Amino acid sequence: MDIPAMRVNFAKAAATGDEAPLYFYSHLFLSHPEVRQMFPVSMAHQRDRLFSALGEVVARVDDLDALVPILQQLGRDHRKFGTLAAHYPAVGASLLATLEHFDDHWTPELAKDWTEAYTLVADVMVVAAGEAAGQPAWWDADVVAHERRTLDVAVLQVRPQARYDYRAGQSVSLESDLRPRLWRYFSPANAPRPDGLMELHVKARDGGPVSSALVRRVGVGDVLRLGPPLGHLALGPESDRDLLLVAGGIGLAPLKALVDEVARQGPARRVDLFAGFRTEDQIYDRADLRRLAEENPWLTVTYAVSDDKISSLEQGAVGEVAVRHGPWLSREVYVAGPTPMVEDTVERLLRHGVPRQRISSEVFAPSRPGPSVDGEVAE
Amino acid sequence: MTSPQNGTGDAERALTPADLRSLRFSRASMLHPGYVDTEVDRVMNRVAEELGRHIAEKAELRDRVRALQAQVEGVIVHEPPSEQAVRILATAQQTADSYVAEAEEFSRQVTSEARAEYEQAVRQARENAGAILQAAQEAAGRLGEGAPGVTDGSQRTVEELQEQMAYLRTFGQAVRVQLRSYLEALIADVESEWGRADPAALPLEPPRPPAQRSGGDRGTTTQATFAGNTAGEAPAVTDVDEVVSAGAKPSP
Repeated sequence: MDIPAMRVNFAKAAATGDEAPLYFYSHLFLSHPEVRQMFPVSMAHQRDRLFSALGEVVARVDDLDALVPILQQLGRDHRKFGTLAAHYPAVGASLLATLEHFDDHWTPELAKDWTEAYTLVADVMVVAAGEAAGQPAWWDADVVAHERRTLDVAVLQVRPQARYDYRAGQSVSLESDLRPRLWRYFSPANAPRPDGLMELHVKARDGGPVSSALVRRVGVGDVLRLGPPLGHLALGPESDRDLLLVAGGIGLAPLKALVDEVARQGPARRVDLFAGFRTEDQIYDRADLRRLAEENPWLTVTYAVSDDKISSLEQGAVGEVAVRHGPWLSREVYVAGPTPMVEDTVERLLRHGVPRQRISSEVFAPSRPGPSVDGEVAE
Repeated sequence: MTSPQNGTGDAERALTPADLRSLRFSRASMLHPGYVDTEVDRVMNRVAEELGRHIAEKAELRDRVRALQAQVEGVIVHEPPSEQAVRILATAQQTADSYVAEAEEFSRQVTSEARAEYEQAVRQARENAGAILQAAQEAAGRLGEGAPGVTDGSQRTVEELQEQMAYLRTFGQAVRVQLRSYLEALIADVESEWGRADPAALPLEPPRPPAQRSGGDRGTTTQATFAGNTAGEAPAVTDVDEVVSAGAKPSP
């Protein structure tokens, strides 16, 4: 395989921006109309995603050790879309047609190399999907409770109809019949429970089709579809250090799950949770956090408000408030929230002297279509 | 027309199953019983020829079916969609995308405007509450000045200040209770007017009496109701805020 030549060729298609993915999908849907129903009505975001994913594959094509686990994950995850082994050659043919279309110097060698590379990629994904065939492609989950906590935050309790294994801190992709084919990631706010119930915190983004439907339209008795869990925010099994958890807004969910895991499984350790909100009104889970703190003497919950002068709570950015309560030099630190909050908090903690390797963070972007190949959950 | 008598007929014409069924060979003679040899031989030859022709034709047809099938499959697998078709679909998709994006943008605008208005209303309500409280405190202060034992601010002892505080607290509480009963009366009034306009809409039970928290005390926001502020609680700024701000919110 002439990898440099393939990269040059790929760059030509990628340079056209939206044109190449637009061509690719049109070609694919015309060749295989049955595939169309696996995608949402609007393909705009899908197109962005396709070429960035392909770009990452191309960038790593000479580093199979890094690429293979990513592809396996992709292959397993694609089962929830209804992807079958038979779809892979169809995609390959349209991909080749696209790369050819946007390259005036297309050669039979390029065609051969791309076919070879694509076959390799597809094989890894198909095999991984096949290995996962023992578990469902997706899980139907009943909404058993739905509470509007603030103007735009709802807390849902859902119960998967079949056994659903995940770890505290992971994310779950989710689709609703109200918004078909739009999958978004949410973090359960509890560790796995014997009765299977999962608590989801959802904030309706203005104009966000999925989040606003989940907050304002979904109700008890509705069924959601869950994809396999993903994500990297998890308590290290080898560490029993005390924890510092810093949450911004709805980033509280995965951190509350970590608290729940300590409560259920230990090891016993002190946990300090800082939860930052813009105003006191927006603290949507106060009662349950109070309950957790009352039940567990090792847990301290501190709220911070950044834009509420009247409030008697701690004032300031949550990272600032957390550092003020330090020192936290011996803690294992977990940070989750919107990008600016996570960046600000991590920077303050590093300056505070917490070693970088003891800080884990997760960014909650307005739309979380899924973790990137690097495992970051980002837009 | 094949003559049943001689069993031969027109050699050009294809042999049919009906021909064979209706075929009758002639008796030869009394000396040589049986059919006439020549007639039988001629028919046998024709049958053999016919059969051969059928076999050849079948093979030929089989080849043609194969060729056509390959051609049909070739169309699906190898013939790519035309550039024109791709362009048309791409344009259609872009149109759909822009409609969806417009709808989402519209929804984003409407919700963010609604949110801004809501936040403005809450802020306004809080400011009003603050002003009411301040006025109440000033009024309390004026009343306090007239009370015996208090002469001048600079001479106040700690004890006197504490007394004043207690008085203010009581006064604040009284103001809160009055405000609440006023608001409740107002709501009752609104509901009865509403009930008159649409009797079916009137709740069966009378409005909940005050000093009763609904359900579990979950947070300060959604479950705060007019009835949610118990009179027994020490009056505090946030409580008054809650009364007013809850009034500005949609019911949970």
